[in-house]
Amino acid sequence: MRLYKKHDFPGKLFVVEGVDGSGKSTQLDLLRNWLESKGESVIFTEWNSSNLISKTIKQAKRSNTLIPVTFSILHATDFADRLENIIIPALKAGLYVLADRYCFTAFARDVARGVDKEWVRNLYGFSIRPDGAFYFQVPVEVSLGRINNMRTPGFYESGMDMGISTDPRESFRIFQTNIINEYDQMVDEFGFHVMPATKTIHEQQMLFRKKVTELIESSN
Amino acid sequence: MKNENNSPKPPERVKHDYPGKLIVIEGTDGVGRSTQTELLKNWLAVEGYGVTVTGWKSSELISNVIEKAKSKNALNTITFSLLYATDLADRLNSIIVPALKAGLMVICDRYYYTAFARDVVRGADPQWVRKLYGFAVEPDLVFYLKMPLDPLLRRIITTRGSLDFYESGRDIGMSTDLYQSFKLYQSQIMFEYEQMMAEYPFVVVPADETPDKIQRCLRQHVGKLLDRTTNPEAVLIS
Repeated sequence: MRLYKKHDFPGKLFVVEGVDGSGKSTQLDLLRNWLESKGESVIFTEWNSSNLISKTIKQAKRSNTLIPVTFSILHATDFADRLENIIIPALKAGLYVLADRYCFTAFARDVARGVDKEWVRNLYGFSIRPDGAFYFQVPVEVSLGRINNMRTPGFYESGMDMGISTDPRESFRIFQTNIINEYDQMVDEFGFHVMPATKTIHEQQMLFRKKVTELIESSN
Repeated sequence: MKNENNSPKPPERVKHDYPGKLIVIEGTDGVGRSTQTELLKNWLAVEGYGVTVTGWKSSELISNVIEKAKSKNALNTITFSLLYATDLADRLNSIIVPALKAGLMVICDRYYYTAFARDVVRGADPQWVRKLYGFAVEPDLVFYLKMPLDPLLRRIITTRGSLDFYESGRDIGMSTDLYQSFKLYQSQIMFEYEQMMAEYPFVVVPADETPDKIQRCLRQHVGKLLDRTTNPEAVLIS
């Protein structure tokens, strides 16, 4: 499976992972600005954003009728479409590709929803292995606090579809805890670079840039 | 957890224990699947069985997405595979499993074997596709309507009047000659089905017979399946 092999495209693929509210999107955005300010060409892509299917996924989410497996394959379809149309062409052209969430998001969320671990890894076996996967690790309470300050968590986001608890906040807490556990287990499995998401935004960004620089240099 | 219905369990498939029965009719384009499905459905209804029929890529969730993408000829192999898998996952959850639980006879015009043939011809890894469909219920009976290539080609061309882009495998650039491409593609699909005959318990039905004769053959096998469930003694005696 491609996911387990180093790619040989001239471009570089960096991905950020972590639960909602871990600050990964802020960090990726800063990294993108920095790379662009150095004159690099950067392509950015995020989870559930393909032209083909993202609308269908959003509609289905609103109707609350999806079972975990359907949900899982729908997201893989979105990912496959972006991989073929955005990520791979950019890598072939020698560009930097920054992905806000990658297949690891599915490995964490779908497994937390009760989908078989091995099945979902096979499902995404066609993925290109990133040159760097950065995991923004954050304790559940911090993630909860950040989300709650901004909005109420959604139905699927809080795992309400699994019937864990009828209280959305309690359900969200349990579901997010399970997701964090899955992420933590992937650190060794996929060689994640763990980012301490409790440090200041500036400190994290400096660390992020340093690691990215190292990864680029070591591969040249 | 809510996904007790069809939580994916990759390699070994387990028989379902729902009161209904899942009957699958497989075969390449143009072998007469829809005619046979219709006849079988009517017969089962006359015999007093509740029947649900479901066709390939017909889910409310995804079928229009597939059609739209196909019309733009914009799909690569993996995305194509995944869209079809989503379609089946959705129909399993909304149609097939509920019907089986309610004790109905479910006839599937094409099932995952279609994906195993088409996706592999398009370059997908056979193991990957098989594992992908690990969430799907195993059928109780699978008919493979089998027809030699030449009569099949004549039949498709005469009944449809023209050749379809995807049925001709043009998306994988087999040949710019549409007929050659069509022939090559259909023969590769057929080859994949032949391979599956050893892998799965297909009931192979010669499809170049008359529709009546084919139907009699299907009814015979379905009849056997039903006796076994309505009268378990029959199995012991024979």
